[in-house]
Parts: sequence; structure tokens; C-alpha cells
Amino acid sequence: MAHYSEHLNGIFQALADPTRRAVLQRLSRGPASITELAEPFDMALPSFMKHIRLLEDSGWIQTRKEGRVRTCGIDRKSFAAAEGWLSAQRAVWEGRTDRLERFVTVARKKEQ
Amino acid sequence: MLSPAFDPACDLQISRVIKAPRRTVWRAWTDPARFEQWWVPAPAKCRVQEMDLRPGGAFITRISEQGGEFVPHLNACFLAVDDLERIVFTNTLLAGWRPAEQPFMTAIITLQDHEGGTHYAAHVMHKTRSDRDMHAKMGFIDGWGTVIGQLAAQVERLS
Repeated sequence: MAHYSEHLNGIFQALADPTRRAVLQRLSRGPASITELAEPFDMALPSFMKHIRLLEDSGWIQTRKEGRVRTCGIDRKSFAAAEGWLSAQRAVWEGRTDRLERFVTVARKKEQ
Repeated sequence: MLSPAFDPACDLQISRVIKAPRRTVWRAWTDPARFEQWWVPAPAKCRVQEMDLRPGGAFITRISEQGGEFVPHLNACFLAVDDLERIVFTNTLLAGWRPAEQPFMTAIITLQDHEGGTHYAAHVMHKTRSDRDMHAKMGFIDGWGTVIGQLAAQVERLS
């Protein structure tokens, strides 16, 4: 079960970063432009764009360009996928068990 | 030993055979220094604040993400600790059985001898769906703002 669901992992991996979580939290209130989203962060635009792309690739947000302004919005499909909330919990516990297994089998080798 | 019924809507069950003796797995779980090394995925770091292995004992961990300061992670209470066999904990209660603000889950960890090492199982029971359904009724997007926060706290980085 180590390869649980790649898509789902992508969705939750995107949540692992505080900047991306903040962006999602902002977008949960409604669409916003990149400039507006980047404003609270002390971060160069290219770095910020990496976060935006990751959120887009993992399916959390959609972006569209109108003129020179790129607007981001929440992608409801991903939220629906994340509603498989129990799946998220499962992924967490699978991960824990993977790491425990690795830890004890490595520790065992060291003891021998 | 009480074995609660499995509710597919709220529970998850993980079991596998780990190629290590039961004592080694037990120690990895119950020795804070060892536990800290696997509980959260790298590069996040876990720190055990309290691990009082007895019914009613505190089980409190903190997490540091991206080299930041350690922030609260799990605040739970042990319900049962049977040497080498079983650990039951919940965050519906805090240390000393004090009711928690945001109850969420109970986990039952069991270890059994197996010819290949240790049969390890985790049965995790969550609250009913009712508050999630309420979220949906209150407004899909607004509700999710809160859910993201909760997920962020509970769903860790998956390496």
C-alpha cells in the first residue's frame, strides 16, 4: 500500500507548504489575481509562481489569463476529491506505518 | 480484548507484517527518541512533549515544518497500554481524561507475533460524518476554508 493513490498524494502534498495553504485559504474566499495573492508574501515572484503551478498541477486551483492579469480560483473538483477525507487520513496512517516499518527494519539490521 | 466493530464510513484499518521482532516495534512506538524518528515524514520534525504510557496519560507531540519552530501537533490521551500488545489513544480526551475541544479520532494499535516478524495493525476510528455534512450545508467553499486549516494541521507532508 506504499503507492496508495498518487493523485491523492499530490493533492495532499500540495497542502504541506504554509505558503500554499495560505493561498488556498485566501482563495476559499473567492478568486484573486496572482499579484493580489503574492502580496502578503516576502518572496520573489518566480518562487511564488512555483507554488501556484504546484497548486494548479495538483488540481487545487485553476488559473486563467485575461489581458495581462492572471486570475486564480479554487477548483471544486479537487475539493470533492479531498472530500474523500477518510482517504487523506488513510494516506497519513499508511505513511506512518511505512516509516515505522523502515525504521524498525533498519534498526534491526544495525543491531545484528 | 474488546474489538470494536469496523465502520467503513468513519474508520480505517491498516495491517501488515513488519520484519522485526515485536519488542523492536514496541520500542519504536514507546521510546520517545525512537518515535520521533518516524512519526512525521521528513523533512518535518517531531518532538514528543509527553508520552505518559498509562490510561489517562498525556500523549502530546509537536511538529516543526521547514525548520520552523515546533508547533502543537497531537494532543491526546492514552486509553490503554498493554505491554508489547496494544496501545489505544484518542484526542477526544486530553491528559487525565479531560474532554477535548475538537475531538477527532481514536486509534488502536495492536502488535502480534507472526512467523515473519510482527503483525502490526492500526484501527483508526473517526467522528461521524455529521459535522462534515454540516459543512457542506453551510456553504461548500466557505466551509472548506476551515477544512483546509484542519487538514493542514492533521494531514502531514507525504513524502
